Amino acid sequence: MSAVAAPRSLRRRLRHLDWVFLVCTLTLVALGTVVVTSATSTPDQPLGLLRPRLVHVVVGLFVLAGFAAVPYRSLGQVWKALYGGNLALLALTDLVGRAALGAQRWLTLGPVSLQPSELSKLALIVTLAWTLSHRREPFTRPADLLPYLLHAVPPFVLVFLQPDLGTSLVFAAIVLGMLWAAGVPRRHLGGLVAAGLLAAPLLWPLLKPYQRMRLVVFVDPGLDPLGAGYNLIQSKIAIGSGGLWGKGLFAGTQNTLQFLPMQHTDFVFAVIGEELGFVGTVAALVLFWAWCVRGLRVASVARDDFGRYLCVGVVSMVAFHTLVNVGMTVGLAPTTGIPLPFVSYGGTSLLVNLAGAGLVLGVGLRRSKILF
Amino acid sequence: MRPPRFRLVPGSDPRPDAPERAERPSARLASLAVALTVAFGALGVRLWQLQVLQGEYYAQLADSNRLRVHRVAAPRGLILDRRGRPLVTNRPAFSVSLLPMELEAPRRVLPELSRILGVPEAQLWARLEQGRSRPFEPVRVRRDVGIRVVTVLEERRHELRGVVVEAEPVRVYPYGPVGAHVLGYLGEVSAEELEALRPRGYRPGDLVGKAGVERQYDGLLRGDDGEQVVEVDAAGRPLRVLREQAGRPGQSLVLALDWDLQREAEAQLAGRAGAVVAMDPRTGEVLALASSPSFDPNAFAVGISERDWKALAGDPRNPLLNRATASAYEPGSVFKVVTGLAALQERRASPGSRFVCTGSLRLGRWVFRDLQAHGVVDFTTGVAQSCNVMFWLLGRSVGPEALAQYAAQLGFGRPTGVDLPQEVEGNVPSRDYKERTWGEPWYPGDTLNMAIGQGFVLVTPVQVARALSAVANGGVLLQPRVARAVLSPEGKVVRRFGPVVQGHLGVRQEALAALRRGLEAVVARGTGRAAAVQGLQVAGKTGSAETPRGRPHAWFAGYAPARDPRLVVVVLVEHGARGGLAAAPVARALFERWWAGQEQAAYARPGSP
Repeated sequence: MSAVAAPRSLRRRLRHLDWVFLVCTLTLVALGTVVVTSATSTPDQPLGLLRPRLVHVVVGLFVLAGFAAVPYRSLGQVWKALYGGNLALLALTDLVGRAALGAQRWLTLGPVSLQPSELSKLALIVTLAWTLSHRREPFTRPADLLPYLLHAVPPFVLVFLQPDLGTSLVFAAIVLGMLWAAGVPRRHLGGLVAAGLLAAPLLWPLLKPYQRMRLVVFVDPGLDPLGAGYNLIQSKIAIGSGGLWGKGLFAGTQNTLQFLPMQHTDFVFAVIGEELGFVGTVAALVLFWAWCVRGLRVASVARDDFGRYLCVGVVSMVAFHTLVNVGMTVGLAPTTGIPLPFVSYGGTSLLVNLAGAGLVLGVGLRRSKILF
Repeated sequence: MRPPRFRLVPGSDPRPDAPERAERPSARLASLAVALTVAFGALGVRLWQLQVLQGEYYAQLADSNRLRVHRVAAPRGLILDRRGRPLVTNRPAFSVSLLPMELEAPRRVLPELSRILGVPEAQLWARLEQGRSRPFEPVRVRRDVGIRVVTVLEERRHELRGVVVEAEPVRVYPYGPVGAHVLGYLGEVSAEELEALRPRGYRPGDLVGKAGVERQYDGLLRGDDGEQVVEVDAAGRPLRVLREQAGRPGQSLVLALDWDLQREAEAQLAGRAGAVVAMDPRTGEVLALASSPSFDPNAFAVGISERDWKALAGDPRNPLLNRATASAYEPGSVFKVVTGLAALQERRASPGSRFVCTGSLRLGRWVFRDLQAHGVVDFTTGVAQSCNVMFWLLGRSVGPEALAQYAAQLGFGRPTGVDLPQEVEGNVPSRDYKERTWGEPWYPGDTLNMAIGQGFVLVTPVQVARALSAVANGGVLLQPRVARAVLSPEGKVVRRFGPVVQGHLGVRQEALAALRRGLEAVVARGTGRAAAVQGLQVAGKTGSAETPRGRPHAWFAGYAPARDPRLVVVVLVEHGARGGLAAAPVARALFERWWAGQEQAAYARPGSP
């Protein structure tokens, strides 16, 4: 379209490209590719899951470029279709989805498996940003929040029912971040969070026993050291034993001897900790931090509210994922089963995060009014 | 910069939330960035704590995750008889243990294991409890499982995580009950023993010598276990050996025992309660040491079951008791050796001295009766006939102090120091002893009783053997010894045990010679004729010791050849009634067996006639 059509305008736009943001994204993807390979390498298959990971990365980079290139407002214009399609997909997953690890999260379409809950994060960000950006009046009364909460509740409930507690919490984080950026008074947001915390005990009976156990062992992992607390303990051992410099790639004993569970997905950060040490974990944290701060900078220079809210939504999503995932591996957050963005193995998750990064880049590219 | 969206002049808004609404969107984004920075910083601090401050600690945890230390059991040393015949050996076997740290589901695994091994589940739980304090060390639950059990366990190792099979040899006693009291047996180290032995590498569940030479020489029989450090994965599968330290087998022990003699002794005692000690009077070497009834030490080799233990320990015939060393008896007439030697040395008698035996001796209001009236006897005949009246007269003549002194010089009343555990010391009475123990003064009748080995005198067969050896060898008190040499695992002699002199009798050789003439007469024409062997001059003394617990104990203590003693034999048959009838034939069988061996050796020796 216009991005491809006019080389001259393309050059102009590239002047606005946030190189730091892009380099952070690509470095994290590369780091993830190396660590996932280490985490899945076996004597029989030394390259582990490198090949499918590379497929995800290549597809993901095209997705990133595509989302950066497409004029982002055109996504907003089809928000109703996005919203409806999202709900339909989630409902379908609840009904016919493939179960893995006790939850129905997967939808199989021919050779491709999808996790609709991952896609729905992006759909929520786009549709909520669009409706928020069309509000003309400032938020003054608590009731002003209602339409936007109602906007978020249906996908939240459908995901919660899968059950996928982690992703529903991501939804909450996205909504909170975007409402904050939209200028909702602190008191109202504070009240919203307080109400959510008060309502949490009501959700307790709805949780599956394994979900409850995860919360219990978060408080005291020693309660069930070989069961629910095992992951937490082994993850801390892996990270701690990495020391300052780490044991070297492919040389972590917790990783290669399989003491670390889910070491290429949810606990991939523990492999970084074990094999690359404190130096590696801090480097990864700095990359994530820089990514988020640059994303917020793009939001602050966006040419319209829609673009700004998009950026904040994407940053909220990635930041929440990162903080909760890393927090989980170091014993500061309960096990909720949400992956580390850009790094963990998992196609849908990588595509969604790269699409989000593409959106932010696209908002950045179109910051000036010249071309729209 | 874009103009902020919500622009209101601060203070101009009448509504209370006005200041908030005045906040610019970019300020909100900035505060979001600050919040994120704080959160990431907190994670960084946490990582510093885990990886840098506690890195060592977690590195150790990671190592204990992946490293397993396997013990490679060192075989225990062999026990051989004096001619190198193996008496105790080992056979390869497998043990089953629990590794507490890998036992994730004891509630599921232990009942299953109990079924496979046939061990009560409660016992498995008890063992697991013992091992809790050292979760990385396997605790044995059963030794010597068959190859079928090993196969079952290996096939199901994934369901039975935490159960490990280790190669560990098992002790074998090929002759079963023969010599069991000398050889001893093994048992699991007790908590108290462990306290003392842990520095030497013993661990809970280890077998340790509990009796006999297995206990006496446990330290040298036991080898040093080897160690293997193995890397395992999360499923407990061994991947590679990281470090290996070879163990060292235990040293072997050569005993002084002559197994032919030992077997003869056991055969002679079969069906009776009693003991036999055969000793070389020139060296103190114990050639045979038997106690009956006996037991099978093989029952202990894999850890005895509680039921079997109770049956053995509660048996009224007391098969575990070593009657040769750990039980003291009234010596009866055997003690006349002491009385006779005292009288000869104190010049109260000489070979030619004559005594009148009317069959009884009057002492104040009491009359002491002998079995028969021997008429006029000389000293030698009195010994040969075991004439009580003569020994009463001699005892009264030398007095109780002298009797006690000579008894002590012959080694009675104190342990012989034989290299077997749990020896008792017997008793030699004195005035003090009687007043202390019985609260009564020493009566002249006590002296008469003591003179013929009754009353308060108590001796062990091995003490009698030591005393008679001193008489036979010219007056040297030697420590009886079961061990002869120590062999390295390669079979080289690393140590020889020589004679240990404990004292000299300090009596004139004429006195000893006169006594020995009497002992020769005992077998030649007296009460010990049943001990006589064709072609071998045997000397000795019989005894029929009155005991308050039943029929008299039968004794025979003798040596041969009479003029060049090379073998002392002491026989005790509990409640055998007459020494000459019950005990002397046993001694004869041993002398015959020994003599046959000597002649064979003489013929076999090149250059001999």
